[in-house]
Amino acid sequence: MDLDSFKNLLSGFSKVSKLHFEVHDSKGRCFYIDDERRYNHGEKYIRSLSSRVIEEEKYLHMKSENSLSLFGMPIKNGTGSVASLIAYNSSPDTPDTGDMERFLSSLAALFEDNWSYRKEAKKMAQEIDQSYEELYLYSKIASQIKTLRFTETMQKELIEDLLGIMRVDMAFTDLKQHEEYNVLAFRPDITKKVSDPDGLVKRLLKIVPGREMSMENQYFIINDSRESPQCRDIHTEPFRFLAVKIRNNMDLHGWLGLLSFNLKEIFRTSELNLLVTMAEQIAVVLSNQDLYRDLERFVINVVKSLVHAIEAKDWYTRGHSERVNSYCMMIADKMNIDEEGKKALHWASILHDIGKIAIPESILNKPARLSDEEYNIIKKHPEKGYEILQPIEQLRDSLPGILCHHERFDGKGYPEGLEGENIPFSGRVIAVADTFDAITSDRAYRAAKKQEEAMVIINEVAGSQLDPVIVKVFNDIFKEGLTSV
Amino acid sequence: MENNKKIIIIDDEAHIRRVIELKLKNQGYQVETATNGEDGLEMIKEKKPDVVITDIMMPRLDGKTLTKKISVFKEEWPFLTIVMTCRISPDESKWIEKMKDTLFIEKPFSPSRLVEYIDRYFEKRIK
Repeated sequence: MDLDSFKNLLSGFSKVSKLHFEVHDSKGRCFYIDDERRYNHGEKYIRSLSSRVIEEEKYLHMKSENSLSLFGMPIKNGTGSVASLIAYNSSPDTPDTGDMERFLSSLAALFEDNWSYRKEAKKMAQEIDQSYEELYLYSKIASQIKTLRFTETMQKELIEDLLGIMRVDMAFTDLKQHEEYNVLAFRPDITKKVSDPDGLVKRLLKIVPGREMSMENQYFIINDSRESPQCRDIHTEPFRFLAVKIRNNMDLHGWLGLLSFNLKEIFRTSELNLLVTMAEQIAVVLSNQDLYRDLERFVINVVKSLVHAIEAKDWYTRGHSERVNSYCMMIADKMNIDEEGKKALHWASILHDIGKIAIPESILNKPARLSDEEYNIIKKHPEKGYEILQPIEQLRDSLPGILCHHERFDGKGYPEGLEGENIPFSGRVIAVADTFDAITSDRAYRAAKKQEEAMVIINEVAGSQLDPVIVKVFNDIFKEGLTSV
Repeated sequence: MENNKKIIIIDDEAHIRRVIELKLKNQGYQVETATNGEDGLEMIKEKKPDVVITDIMMPRLDGKTLTKKISVFKEEWPFLTIVMTCRISPDESKWIEKMKDTLFIEKPFSPSRLVEYIDRYFEKRIK
């Protein structure tokens, strides 16, 4: 009972009137004017009136043997009397008991209202506090969901936030296809009650219905483990448990679960809604990642098919694409190219000759020297490759490398005759790797040369045909050994 | 608990004041509140708090001006300033970064995180 705000009021009344005021709760005196003479001779009457007022829950008045007039009014909360407001005086002119009843009654009502407002305000503040936490979590999920790079760490943070905001003892995700996203978070003090949290989660998941559960059921709840026989062997201490499905359309990815040993609180519907939203968002992220992975795998397979297509046609180039690719990647590593640049170079080097699909086989595999006309047709393959791959958006960054792998550093190459650094970097890298591999493998019109001989030729054309900087890097790589081929 | 630590909350929105007050009182801190920047400034001068939590958009002296004004007091006694805002403005955090012992919190904020920041500030100060 908080009397602070009324102390001044009551002591003011005591000073200006002949009446003195005290407030008692069932345990004893909460408020009184500290005046020994006054309460010493009246204390026993005040005490007895107070307990009667609280017990009978009604206004009472009495006169003591030492001619003290006492008036008592109960102060109630929602359920009953919690205290008494006592007024007394020792002077002969006693106020009318009806007047006193009305006065004390309005004074008591003032206390009651004030306390109940304060209690409500506190309750509201608690609820707003909870809403803020939920809102914070919502906004956090919403911002994380936009990104495809939803990492395991982000998932972990999210579940740990959930643990705090839902005021539970354990929170976990159980995902079948995305085990890297499985999280188990628990309050540190829980280890006193649970020796093996992982094992507890496993036992809980056994009672959660599997896929056969109807699609309408978003969640699975146990409000009190003592009331459900299936929980008997899960844990000795009673608990409540709530799990919601992490699913997107028909895909059930797994479960998001909460467990608490505090049975004084319950899982509220607002909390369930938040949990369902979170689970849905996690499901969207996982499904997106699946889709993204499928798409990437699809592109990789398309690329492989394209490589097979060109190799089926031009059998001299068999293995050429892979070797050029691996030389290019060594160069990229040595030159510390960033991930995106590497990815573009990776696909460009594998697919650099794809345009040869559009060149007649008779020219590609001709064992004799090509005529000028035939050579001009062959020279079309970088542009053809560009045209063939242009519709595939995922390969867009690789197109410059494919188009420009026959440009020369001195500007005498094709198709554009670009010069020096005007040639896209990936085109210059592929040119070095392509030239080296062409010299060191059999061709329709000549036999392969040794790698050392090839390096001599490469160094001779550095600065004219090839970018001297990249050639220098390639020399370093060659000295260390072209291991992977 | 840290019952000798004084915290002043300045915000014209009652629900924000109430929530933070409740959270901090539960944590054992002494809490006082003001509903505008001017009253807040007077209260800070008088009480010399350990933490000031202030909104930005307020009647009679806004939070930005207040934060800058009180930052000179930090030479007199150390305290943490926490600035809260719901305004969308990318440069908001920039001027706050330049201030000593000043944190920036966007609304909606998590009250429990706010308490964590304050607890951590005192832990650091003890060291």
